[in-house]
Amino acid sequence: MRAAIEAARAGLNVAVVTKIYPVRSHSVAAQGGINAALKETDSWEAHMFDTIKGSDYLGDQDAIEALCKEAPSDIMELERMGAIFSRDAHGHIAQRPFGGAGYPRTCYLADRTGHSLLHVMFEQLMKHGIYVYDEWHVVKLVAEDNISKGVIAIELSTGKLHRLHSKATIIATGGYGRVYKTTTNALSSTGDGMALALNAGVDLMDMEFVQFHPTVLPRTGILMTEGARGEGGFLLNSKGERFMEKYAPKVKELASRDVVSRAEQTEIEEGRGVNGCVLLDLRHLGAKKINERLSQIKDLAINFSGVNPIEEPVPVKPGAHYSMGGIATDNDGGTKVTGLFAAGEAACVSVHGANRLGGNSLLETIVFGRRAGLKAAQFCKDAKLYPFPDRFLKDASQEVAVIYERENGESIFKIRNEMNDAMEAHCGIFRDRDRLTKGYDKIKELKERFKKVSLTDKNDNYNNELLHIFEVGQMLDISEAILVGAINRQESRGSHYRRDFPKRDDENWLKHTLIYKDGEEFKIRYRDVRVTKFKPEERKY
Amino acid sequence: MKIKFNIRRFNPDDSKLNEPYFQAYDVEVTEGMTVLEALLKINEEQDPTLAFRKSCRSAICGSCAMKVNGFSKLTCSLQVIPEYKKKGRMVIEPLANHKQVKDLVVDLNPFWKKIEKVTPYLTPMDKEHEERSVSEEDEKTIDQSQRCIMCGCCNSECNALEIDSKFIAPAALAKAWRFVGDVREGDKKKRLERLSEEHGMWDCVRCIHCTQYCPKDVAPLKQIEMLRSSAMKAGILDNPGAKHVEAMADSVRRVGRLDEAAMTFKTLGFLRSIGMIPFGLKMELHGKMPLPILFPKIEKIEEVKKIYEEAAKQGTEQEKKKEE
Amino acid sequence: MADKLRYAYYPGCASQEITKEANVTTRLVARKLGIELHDMPKASCCGAGLLTDYDYQLYIAINARIFAEAEQMGMDIMTICSTCLMVMRTANYNLKTSPELLAKTNEILATVGLHYRGTVEVKQLLWVLAGEYGLNNLKKKVVKPLDWMKIAPFYGCHSLRPSNALGFDDPEMPQSLDKVIEALGAQPVDYSGKTKCCGFQVDLVAVETAEVMTATRLLDGKKHGANCFVTPCPFCHINLDNYQNLAEKQVEKKIEMPVFHLSQLVGLALGLTPQDIGLSRHLVSPSRILR
Ligand SMILES: Cc1cc2nc3c(=O)[nH]c(=O)nc-3n(C[C@H](O)[C@H](O)[C@H](O)COP(=O)(O)OP(=O)(O)OC[C@H]3O[C@@H](n4cnc5c(N)ncnc54)[C@H](O)[C@@H]3O)c2cc1C
Ligand code: SF4
Ligand code: SF4
Ligand code: FES
Repeated sequence: MRAAIEAARAGLNVAVVTKIYPVRSHSVAAQGGINAALKETDSWEAHMFDTIKGSDYLGDQDAIEALCKEAPSDIMELERMGAIFSRDAHGHIAQRPFGGAGYPRTCYLADRTGHSLLHVMFEQLMKHGIYVYDEWHVVKLVAEDNISKGVIAIELSTGKLHRLHSKATIIATGGYGRVYKTTTNALSSTGDGMALALNAGVDLMDMEFVQFHPTVLPRTGILMTEGARGEGGFLLNSKGERFMEKYAPKVKELASRDVVSRAEQTEIEEGRGVNGCVLLDLRHLGAKKINERLSQIKDLAINFSGVNPIEEPVPVKPGAHYSMGGIATDNDGGTKVTGLFAAGEAACVSVHGANRLGGNSLLETIVFGRRAGLKAAQFCKDAKLYPFPDRFLKDASQEVAVIYERENGESIFKIRNEMNDAMEAHCGIFRDRDRLTKGYDKIKELKERFKKVSLTDKNDNYNNELLHIFEVGQMLDISEAILVGAINRQESRGSHYRRDFPKRDDENWLKHTLIYKDGEEFKIRYRDVRVTKFKPEERKY
Repeated sequence: MKIKFNIRRFNPDDSKLNEPYFQAYDVEVTEGMTVLEALLKINEEQDPTLAFRKSCRSAICGSCAMKVNGFSKLTCSLQVIPEYKKKGRMVIEPLANHKQVKDLVVDLNPFWKKIEKVTPYLTPMDKEHEERSVSEEDEKTIDQSQRCIMCGCCNSECNALEIDSKFIAPAALAKAWRFVGDVREGDKKKRLERLSEEHGMWDCVRCIHCTQYCPKDVAPLKQIEMLRSSAMKAGILDNPGAKHVEAMADSVRRVGRLDEAAMTFKTLGFLRSIGMIPFGLKMELHGKMPLPILFPKIEKIEEVKKIYEEAAKQGTEQEKKKEE
Repeated sequence: MADKLRYAYYPGCASQEITKEANVTTRLVARKLGIELHDMPKASCCGAGLLTDYDYQLYIAINARIFAEAEQMGMDIMTICSTCLMVMRTANYNLKTSPELLAKTNEILATVGLHYRGTVEVKQLLWVLAGEYGLNNLKKKVVKPLDWMKIAPFYGCHSLRPSNALGFDDPEMPQSLDKVIEALGAQPVDYSGKTKCCGFQVDLVAVETAEVMTATRLLDGKKHGANCFVTPCPFCHINLDNYQNLAEKQVEKKIEMPVFHLSQLVGLALGLTPQDIGLSRHLVSPSRILR
């Protein structure tokens, strides 16, 4: 939406296509905040350093520089648009400490930051009169000769396939958390855009880097924000020890996410867990602070785990949270395909490298959304509108018809559940060649079986089963890309931890993984990391 | 534990069944399972054709609102077992006051149109690009209204909307306060004038359903009350709603009581009050016509008058403090 | 009952004029049941929800003045109006949960030499009957069971919501009025409109909405087999009874549904006569269903 607003401001005719209403997008769930160096005692260079260190030196430093330098003015722009932030005693935007950051630079609205910002984006969408195709599910990105033509989408209310013809297309479809069983992501976070782009001939970058969030409610996967630790929450094992003292003596609970998640997993695997969880203890913060600053967290813990954090510690475990990888783009969202742009979690610029810092991805959606929108607008001023051949729509209809006609095939839900289990078991926090290969074989098997799924629901309107078939097909592609990247990266860096290669290896692996499709086959290339200001050094918290 | 779910279904495309009907599903429910999880389970294990909206499954995106046992709820944050134990049944229906388009999916276009009507974006007072300082207290006045997730529960329960589909309805009104109450907003008065028109904020019947059923504690009625008193303080009084309140406030100040006859007269104006005369005569016949002349004052009415003055004083002092 | 029940009695503005019959009947019924009602000569109008729209602090202060009077009397308040109940309980709830508000309000009260400590509770007749007085005790007093009546209980809005401030009955499945009807020997009718709105607040503002709403509720009860309505609220009574005629014209349907005040229904079962309880004041005559 940020991109659409920027393009509309540049005078372009813009429309937004979304499979759920704009305010339902998963950004709405972001709790903790958005980073920017606003204070005089802080600096964008410090923000940049923290981000690079957090990324385990895999982030491209020129991109990170843009992110951190432009953050303050983008935050102020949000404020002008009407975003509401929590304020300090002087009426300025308040900031809180976040994991992996050397300065309290996370702006927030209580624990509803994403909600506040997403609704402001929606407001601006209406202000600029941008047309929204609500509940239109994109099933194809159409590109020919490396030129983007637009998309094909299913209108949910009728089941009709439509052709949306455009000079430029920006993908901002979010993450793929639903590949995993335990995830903080929404049911709609199925990574559609990444897989569609891959199939349209674009590279996916650094897909092996999956962030596992350390504080997730068991069973449902619902997130307890990092803000809970930012406000001073402790993590305890079954013996009541603050075990982070052992793994990150200096910053303890506020170490970066990969470090905390691995610590928890180690505690759990070594038998110091509580029913497969560790405990997030907020009691010492007191009822007042919890009610004011973390009220949503309190409600979530009560409604979804039956635990009131004012009275009891909350059982939590690590869960899939964020996709560092994604569609490979330049610093203006451009991809290999002319006229095709990407931004947000779906894209990989890369600013997060091997591990993202909390509060940096909302920022990414804003900074690079704006940049992509602007660039697309400039591009459209000179570009011509290429024809959108009918056969693409025909092919897509044919594909759908085949699914409708198939009888007695397997259920899509079964395939999805097996995929979730396989990814969780074989491609989780701790990895090694054996596990990964098992996972790869399983995904290959599921891909074969996927070709034979059939529909129970033969209706056209609101056919969620059909859409889910598309989503699962795409998630299988994504799973394969993650596995291929993970098998090949023979080192441990950020969120990617190989038990068989437990050390970071800058000599051989300070480079990005690029995955592309050649027919049905996934191929790999590598690209060097752009290092400007900060030379790689050991990462300690 | 096995629980029977009765779900109101409808598919306009099905020529055999184009009337809404109920279908029952037996679902094996575990401790802590939410209604949404149960619906997903029905999708996976029994019937993929059942249509409903969902996304975040953590009570923040607003997709999954439905009527459960007669009242509008977010199904993703409502646990099955306690609800079933309390009500002895599990009836799931689409939101009310909106057209059912398929199963549990309703047409939300009118909902969004109403939101659009209140110019749902900030029109800043000063345009230069600089942070405006906002005190914690100022942020608090709009904080509640901006918790809204646009789930539609309130509009589904709204009794005024049930009768008058043109009524602007609580969700949009809560949104309106989010801007009227924002210190950074420049067009407050214009907004309040528009909200005072027909089918606007004064048409709310104060049934308190919105506040009762909002899952995010937005308390839309409270936001409506703040809109109304802001409008009155801004001098937007030329409409029946504001006149009614003014007449009331005046009557309490004078006699300490609600003086129906005087209120009718002041709210409707002279001509329309005359129109009420035949009806009044019928009331009179049954001894129902209040007689303004004889209206007895309460004891110590001077205390009430003093309280009016003091409350007004406190109000202006607060305004002054805010200005500084 | 151990102690005799005593209340500071707050009939509300409507029942001092338009629906006088409810006030008169309540006093008779209370005497028969042995409930002491003490007048509050100083009490003003609660604001009927409208003062809230005028000025919030004024609304709170006016109500605090009423509570202070009851506090001095050493009694809880009993009203026979749901709107008064909701308005007063909400004010009281806000005062009790916000020390800041209580302090600010007491500043205003101090200018007229009053102070409210926050010890008063506000109840309505329905709650007293179904709660403190007790349904069993009520049953014992019935001399003329209303066993031929099929009654639609009309809870309306303000005896149920907002439940945080009211809290006596569950707004999703209220019981009290149904139980009282049963205790009086009559049969309650279930219909979905029983927790909905009569439209009173917009009678003068959005006339059509109000009238259609009134008709919708009455027709809903009628469809489910009710031969009369009962309501604990005089405002609901005004709409359902006094304005029934206008509502009929608006929807072009005959309704002809007698509507009782809660106190009247209890009165009948306790042996009071139609004259005692002022039935002639109703616009829709209940005579056809009386025995
Ligand atoms: C629980 C949680 C908490 C988080 N907290 C924070 C935080 O505190 N700070 C922070 O910086 N980051 C946080 N993040 C990360 C951050 O919220 C996300 O990375 C970011 O919001 C992603 O935004 P997006 O715009 O890229 O995608 P989304 O907001 O997910 O939007 C994707 C959009 O694409 C549409 N779409 C998808 N597929 C299709 C299709 N096939 N056809 C049509 N439309 C489609 C969807 O309808 C949706 O509108 C959090 C993430 C989670 C899950
Ligand atoms: S209180 Fe007013 S806005 Fe709220 S539901 Fe009732 S009529 Fe609608
Ligand atoms: S006010 Fe509450 S009920 Fe209404 S749409 Fe917003 S969140 Fe939902
Ligand atoms: S699924 Fe998002 S609010 Fe329920």
